[in-house]
Amino acid sequence: MTDIVETIVNCDGVSVFYGENRAINNISIDIGKQSITAFIGPSGCGKSTFLRTINRMNDTIEGCRIEGRVTVDGQDIYDASVDVVPLRAKVGMVFQKPNPFPKTIYENVAYGPRIHGLARNKSQLDDIVEKALTGAGLWAEVRDRLQDSGTSLSGGQQQRLCIARTIAVEPQIILMDEPCSALDPIATSKIEALMSELSNEYTIIIVTHSMQQAARVSQKTAYFHLGNLIEYGDTKEIFVRPKDPQTEAYISGKIG
Amino acid sequence: MPLTKTEQIVNASLKARRKKERAFQLFGIAAIALALFFLVTLMGSILSKGIPGFFQYYITLEIELDRERLDPLGDLSEQSLFDGQAKKIIEEVVLEKTGAKSRNGRKAARKLLSNGSDTRLTSFVRANPSLLNSTQKVKFALDDDADSYFRGFVKKETPEQQRRLSNIQIEYLDKMNEDGLISHEISDYLFFGSASRNAEMAGIKGAAIGSVLTLLVCFVIAFPIGVATAVYLEEFAPKNKITEIIEININNLAAVPSVVFGILGLAIFINLFGLPRSIPLVGGMVLALMTLPTIIISSRAAIKSVPPSIRDGALGVGASKVQATMHHVVPLAIPGMLTGTIIGMAQALGETAPLLMIGMVAFIVDIPGSVTEPGTVLPVQIFMWADFAERMFVQKTSSAIIILLLFLILMNGGAIWLRKKLERRW
Amino acid sequence: MLTIISVSVIFLGLLFYVVGTTKITRICDAAGIRPHSLFMYHGSFPAILAVAPPLVLLSLWVVADDIVFNMMLEARFPEGLEVEGRQTILILLAQIRNIAEGIIVGQPDDWIIGLADTLSNWRNTSDTIIAGITVGLSVICGLFGISRVKPEFRARNAVEALLLTGLGICSLIAIITTIGIVFSVIFESIRFFKLVPPLEFLTGTVWNPEFEGAARAGSGQEGMSAYGSIPLFVGTFLISIIALSVSVPVGLFSAIYLSEYASKRVRGTVKPLLEILAGVPTVVYGFFAALSVAPFFRETGGMFGLDVASESALAAGFVMGIMIIPFVSSLSDDVISAVPQSLRDAAFGLGSTKSEAIKKVVLPAALPGIVASIILAVSRAVGETMIVVMAAGLAANLSLNPLDAVTTVTAQIVTILVGDQEFESAKTLSAFALALTLIFITLVLNFFALQIVKKYREQYD
Repeated sequence: MTDIVETIVNCDGVSVFYGENRAINNISIDIGKQSITAFIGPSGCGKSTFLRTINRMNDTIEGCRIEGRVTVDGQDIYDASVDVVPLRAKVGMVFQKPNPFPKTIYENVAYGPRIHGLARNKSQLDDIVEKALTGAGLWAEVRDRLQDSGTSLSGGQQQRLCIARTIAVEPQIILMDEPCSALDPIATSKIEALMSELSNEYTIIIVTHSMQQAARVSQKTAYFHLGNLIEYGDTKEIFVRPKDPQTEAYISGKIG
Repeated sequence: MPLTKTEQIVNASLKARRKKERAFQLFGIAAIALALFFLVTLMGSILSKGIPGFFQYYITLEIELDRERLDPLGDLSEQSLFDGQAKKIIEEVVLEKTGAKSRNGRKAARKLLSNGSDTRLTSFVRANPSLLNSTQKVKFALDDDADSYFRGFVKKETPEQQRRLSNIQIEYLDKMNEDGLISHEISDYLFFGSASRNAEMAGIKGAAIGSVLTLLVCFVIAFPIGVATAVYLEEFAPKNKITEIIEININNLAAVPSVVFGILGLAIFINLFGLPRSIPLVGGMVLALMTLPTIIISSRAAIKSVPPSIRDGALGVGASKVQATMHHVVPLAIPGMLTGTIIGMAQALGETAPLLMIGMVAFIVDIPGSVTEPGTVLPVQIFMWADFAERMFVQKTSSAIIILLLFLILMNGGAIWLRKKLERRW
Repeated sequence: MLTIISVSVIFLGLLFYVVGTTKITRICDAAGIRPHSLFMYHGSFPAILAVAPPLVLLSLWVVADDIVFNMMLEARFPEGLEVEGRQTILILLAQIRNIAEGIIVGQPDDWIIGLADTLSNWRNTSDTIIAGITVGLSVICGLFGISRVKPEFRARNAVEALLLTGLGICSLIAIITTIGIVFSVIFESIRFFKLVPPLEFLTGTVWNPEFEGAARAGSGQEGMSAYGSIPLFVGTFLISIIALSVSVPVGLFSAIYLSEYASKRVRGTVKPLLEILAGVPTVVYGFFAALSVAPFFRETGGMFGLDVASESALAAGFVMGIMIIPFVSSLSDDVISAVPQSLRDAAFGLGSTKSEAIKKVVLPAALPGIVASIILAVSRAVGETMIVVMAAGLAANLSLNPLDAVTTVTAQIVTILVGDQEFESAKTLSAFALALTLIFITLVLNFFALQIVKKYREQYD
């Protein structure tokens, strides 16, 4: 393992259960600030489940139970005193399928700042929306039609709108759950470029199905298999010199 | 680590937002609590009035069954018993038990027993001819005012002019009660009596049979037609304008208020076709048209839930489309269709307004023997009784409601049971 | 008679089934070949032909005979007979029918007895004729079916075609019912509008049908009866508004809580309990309203010095609201549950509290569906009859005060049409005009609701 400049997420012995089924098995991992970490692995390996433990999105699933410790910024997020609202404001999430609200583009982005009260007045809100849309690389495309429905955009634009919606709250961490799996290659490359840019400001954790994507965007990669964390390290290392035979088998396409 | 600006703002807003969250949840809980409160009040109000209605006060009298007086013709025929002196015999016993002497006293005493007492005695004689010429204990219903006295609705403290029983009548009732003649028992009139203006004699038997006959007609018409329509529309109908019009029609019919179906019955079945009023046949036909949309819609859903693989399997071995449908799809969909039909029938059982329009509201004492004889149904009976002011009718109405609700629970429970039992997971 | 004819036709059908199967077996055995279709179909084809057309004919006759006889009798009424209006004719016809069936009341005129005899003669003759025709038709159709039975005859396809025709005819019942509804109100309504101008009906503010309306024209009684339907519609509107103000908040919040907050167990218990409210017959609600709720409101109002009518709009509307709660809640529950989970995830992912996600994302997304369910609830309230008949009273007051007694369209229809009616009177006819407007209103409401639901579905498909 390489050193981490500054740890922001720390997981210690995390297991996740769906009813009786153990989906995640005793995972410990440290994630560094302002970097991109990729979770890879075959489908059903638990990488998305694990990602959702970091902002407690698993809470919305009935019968889901978590053991172990997850800390963000040194705070145990499963502590009874923790409120998920500020947690999720701090750890934002972008989902697999673009899911804009059936509202205008403007309202989609303004939603987060509005509920959290981040803007004092209309012009501040306008600024936040513009900044977020610019940050998501969408401003130029939508500046003239902010009042159009968010669902009227193309798939790639919708996903960037969802990213804009997330960064409008100015989180510290952005979780991305296979954000490009529903997109075509051109849209994908735009999102990847955006991720690199965002990583200057935000910590990004991305679950991806595509090894190439992990190799292209991430600094660190974690390989999951059947609910276990098999290997975690610098992306270059993992792809060039995997230590674990299972990782190697996956990377070389023997399992998938 | 210092908090970012976002974190500071979010943390500051938390308290107020949590409060709103709790208030919102509280609204939800309050709404449910209110709805359940309404349910409990409704049921409570009906049960509290209806359960006493299942009972009424009887008086047991020793009657000398003198054959010559009761059955002057000696053949136990209706005419003979009618000619007999049943009424007089009972009155003599009552006068003896009350000890009424004066003219007014005798008049008052006679009014304490139900008007139907003589009929009760003659039918007792008819059922037990061997007991003639002996002395037997026979139970008679009290008149509804006397009954109300024992229920506590008529109070001694009320000034005489303001209550329906005179002082002397109350005195007689108390006396007979002290002598142990009065008993409080399950009302046989409620279950076996028919429509009557005398509250103590009124019963639901005629209405219940009318309901059964009406539902029978409704089922016989609506189920086959509903299923046939559903099968046709779901499996065979070409996608054209006519099919579309039929589908729109079915949806619209489901939205038409029930009273309109009553007008249809009145204008078409009675005035145009010349069918008689008040008969279960017409009632059943009207209700069938009304429940048809429910049956069609649920039958279509049942057919839709049969997976196409079943159909394909049958077609794959060379069955025709009709065979695949009739041999495989329809039998698999039958439980769902039946469930929908039972629910539709339950609606029909509770329906009142359309039946009022086709004259089932008439006062009919005879119990209908077939679907073409005049009759009424339970909900209409309830409607009619609800109009009578006597306290005892209020209770009997509530009792009839309880019985109607029991029927409905039975039917809906049956539908749920059927669905659970025959439910198939694909 | 009917039973005998039906049974013999069915018996003929069975006979033809046997003949059909026997014939095909014999031919095939002799020739040593297999027929195109199963033996069963070769038997069913003539059997269906022998049974279905005669029975259809028979049932048509059953429906038509009285209509035909009435027309024929009317034609034979003695000349110079003074008949006032359709109503008298109907009474005379009923009298003739009764006498023909042996029920004689009083001393009927000779010509009436004569016609009654004629009628019984007709009936006897027609019975014989229809029996002959039906059985004859059955035999002819059956024989035709038998003649088609040959080894190469596609009996299965023929039987299936017959079956499909039958199914198709059944599906036409829905259209026939609609036509029946339209017919049963439209003619009488037109006749009503000949007596009372539509403008007066639609804009008049006094509803008072108690005086005989047929005498309106030129008898000096004008103005005594009034057919302005505004008070009825205002009453309907008032009661519906009261009902909605009970059922919409309660139903909607219940639906939100049950679909978004409640655990599976709570949901599994509460939902069926709420559904019970929908299963209670309306006459029970009417009884409850008239006997428990109305006196309660009256007493409570009295305590605050308010004068509440014993049959107040409030009591009827309130109880109607209780009845509609499950209607609103289950429809809203459906639309709320149909909002994709991904939208909720997105809102939670941004750090919304649950209520924020519901208020700002789920409800706006479900709004069209909720609106549709409220429209359907309105249409239910407008068409509801028994509660208003039993609890709202018949006083056609033009009032928006919920404490007053008002009346509704449905209550008036029932009151006018229950019991003996006078035909040709504007009073009776007015019920049909009211029904026409009622049908129109509910269909328009239903149309809008379905349109909204359709649009809403497209949004998420």
